[in-house]
Amino acid sequence: MRPFALDYARPAEEWEVSTPYSYDSALQLNVLPDGRIAAHDYAVLREWGATTSTAGSKTHFDD
Amino acid sequence: MTVLILTCEQDVTADMVVAELHGAGVPVVRLDPADLPGAVAISGEYVHGAFQGHLSVGGRLVSTSGLRSIWVRRPGVPAARAAEPSAWLTEEASQALYGMLNGTGARWMNRPDAALRARHKPWQLHLAQRTGFPVPATLITTFPQAARDFAERFPDLVVKPVSGTHPQDPPRAVPTSRIAPDADFAAVAFGPTLFQRRIAKRADIRLTAVGDRLLAARKPAAADADEVDVRFAPSPGPWQPADVPPRIARSVHDFLRRAELAYGAFDFAEDADGIWWFLECNQSGQFGFVELDTGQPIARALAHWLARDEAESEQAAPSPAPAH
Repeated sequence: MRPFALDYARPAEEWEVSTPYSYDSALQLNVLPDGRIAAHDYAVLREWGATTSTAGSKTHFDD
Repeated sequence: MTVLILTCEQDVTADMVVAELHGAGVPVVRLDPADLPGAVAISGEYVHGAFQGHLSVGGRLVSTSGLRSIWVRRPGVPAARAAEPSAWLTEEASQALYGMLNGTGARWMNRPDAALRARHKPWQLHLAQRTGFPVPATLITTFPQAARDFAERFPDLVVKPVSGTHPQDPPRAVPTSRIAPDADFAAVAFGPTLFQRRIAKRADIRLTAVGDRLLAARKPAAADADEVDVRFAPSPGPWQPADVPPRIARSVHDFLRRAELAYGAFDFAEDADGIWWFLECNQSGQFGFVELDTGQPIARALAHWLARDEAESEQAAPSPAPAH
């Protein structure tokens, strides 16, 4: 009774990871431990894949 | 006038825009509906024929009449982090928040009812056809025989989720996948299935539309033709800026106007003749990965759209689409 499309399913990526940045409610931005704005550090964004279009994420419902 | 951003705290892509707005001196209030009630509070009063509403989060208080624009990015489910969450409380919080916000004069990116409609892939395909995009032959069916007949007419097919979502119990991803020539279509009866003629692509195209501004990026396709989903294929190189063909630009503007969307991230497959085949439009699609690779100022374009005033918006707005 498994739908056809699920024959092509694969395990989802693990997204419950801790990131090196945390939300600063005063700035309304995520900041790195040294206080820099995470979004300004492209190396961090690339490493953590936080802006990537990837299927299977719980938070990225659109793509 | 304030820009209201509805998104979760972990959304660093939204941060790219918040930082731009901070740099421009534009007031911003960012909140996650998951924190209503709790860290987020709202109040709205309908008295003597007038409405007065307020939102509060993190020590900030803003009047709904002071909202310039509302960006719906990655909002959590209303009341998800309430002390005693329930489906009923979620509905209460959702209706209170979005109902009040819908009554403001703020511009939306994107308005929730338009966003909900735009998430339906069958509707996207319909609108894409009507707005002049090349659309690969597609079948959505629960009839196994219809699938067999379609496979005879179009032997090289891919399958993808109708909804674009992925099963969560257990968590799995369902990428766009090429179908084996000897596939058994009997299981089509157990769930609506979307089949599409595979485009032998030489590149993937991601076109990000921010209001009237179009920013396209191109990435050569992976050598492995069986891995058709760019999100899962090994990357042969970074995304590169690309020019938008005038015909595609016209179709994108028409699509967004008819869909009542201010933002859309379009995916195309470019074939050997250079034709851009419409695959989908993500009404809240990611853009950070494109900006990181190409340097295209998408976050700045978003900040500009959110910050501009109503008169400027009306001046820039395209003419209404004819009724159909």
